[in-house]
Amino acid sequence: MVDFAGFSMPVQYDSIIKEHEAVRSKVGVFDVSHMGEFLLEGEDVIDFLQYVMINDLNLLEPSKGQYSCMCYDNGTVVDDLVYYEENPNRFRMIVNAGNVEKDFQWLNEHIGGRDVKITNLSSERSRLAFQGPKSDEYLQPLVDVDLNSVNRFYFAHCNLKKAPVFIARTGYTGERGFELSFDKAYAEEIWNDLIQTGASPAGLGARDSLRLEATYSLYGHEINDSITPIEAGLFWLVKPKEGIDYIGKKILMEQKTHGTERIIVGLDLLERGIIRQNFKIFKENVEIGYVTSGGYSPTLKKTIGLGLIKIQYKEVGTKLEIQVRNKNLKGIVVSTPFFRNV
Amino acid sequence: MDYEFPENLKYTKTHEWVRIKDKTATVGITDFAQHQLGDIVYIELPEKGANLEKQSSAGEIESVKAVGELSMPLSGKIIEVNSTLVDNPENVNSSPYGSGWILKLEYTNELEIDDLLSVEDYKRIAEEEN
Repeated sequence: MVDFAGFSMPVQYDSIIKEHEAVRSKVGVFDVSHMGEFLLEGEDVIDFLQYVMINDLNLLEPSKGQYSCMCYDNGTVVDDLVYYEENPNRFRMIVNAGNVEKDFQWLNEHIGGRDVKITNLSSERSRLAFQGPKSDEYLQPLVDVDLNSVNRFYFAHCNLKKAPVFIARTGYTGERGFELSFDKAYAEEIWNDLIQTGASPAGLGARDSLRLEATYSLYGHEINDSITPIEAGLFWLVKPKEGIDYIGKKILMEQKTHGTERIIVGLDLLERGIIRQNFKIFKENVEIGYVTSGGYSPTLKKTIGLGLIKIQYKEVGTKLEIQVRNKNLKGIVVSTPFFRNV
Repeated sequence: MDYEFPENLKYTKTHEWVRIKDKTATVGITDFAQHQLGDIVYIELPEKGANLEKQSSAGEIESVKAVGELSMPLSGKIIEVNSTLVDNPENVNSSPYGSGWILKLEYTNELEIDDLLSVEDYKRIAEEEN
């Protein structure tokens, strides 16, 4: 168990590689109750989210969720998150564990005169992720909703046995799967029910190796308060939203049009070794950036990584060096994602 | 604790085990250490023939989640490294005292053997760290 943002969380139940493989071959269950959950209610929720989020709420509809970032004026990231439209006046939002307090404060500070009320449900509810190619097959017998009717990024409210649950077809593993939220009174019962389907418990270690293979950004690594979504390669997330002013819009649209000095790229090693966060990256002995995430890929059985480097070196095939303790290992820029089944 | 610590081995407080035979010592990491590291995916071995001081670094052991250092339990010359670990580093997890051995050294100072820990002393250290 490790201390993670104040929670005692399992990094692994058994073996990170076995848990990782379980998610790629059948199903893994992750306890992600450390993440934050807010309810936003009021007449002006959509107007408010259009102002604080960079993605476009016009693409959303009731029963659908959307991934987005909220940014500072300078375009760097307060947090990345998913919100789900229950109805135009009621949204559920899932945020990163380490950012719950900061996000709650940031959101409240920017409501202005709008009719928006934000409730922090983080400690009242539990959250689990049920991810893998057999997630539909394993979950369907337990729930009273036809999972085929829940499309990717959509959600439903239903019963899991007798427990009322929110269930969304979203995830962070690169596999099909679901994310569930429910009153914490049901946590143990639902966890046991899900494990009994044949799914394997999976910890934070596997969650990280899976998301790295799928090349999903992790707050504190690829995005943070000194990296913008454009630098992180999330071009599609920055929307023009004609006629709508949103925080960070000016600089982000400028970066989207004219580019940035740095960019996140995929990294592969040409020698044996493991690269990890903050290792320095060089091109012919000149420092050009650093590793934002790195590690062993259980699926590809080799080292993979992401690095924030000067943009002139971003082309796939560019050779570079990565400093691993006292020596430099040869690396190469590769295309991403490394691996995804969705 | 369910870890295995063979009685006939010597240990270090940095979690190496040592099997002494004549003038040579075989070295690996303990069952406790491999368990703490988790899935081992890469081992950087020292050069054969290198002369290394006691407690100096004799290699890096990378797992999915962390990196650990192999420390020389005795001063000496590396006479053999377990090259099967290049392609099968997971042997250190599955058989830390068998096919997961890491290196053999020819020790240069017999007196240093007295500084190694007995299995009872090492068990206490592992229990404290667990």
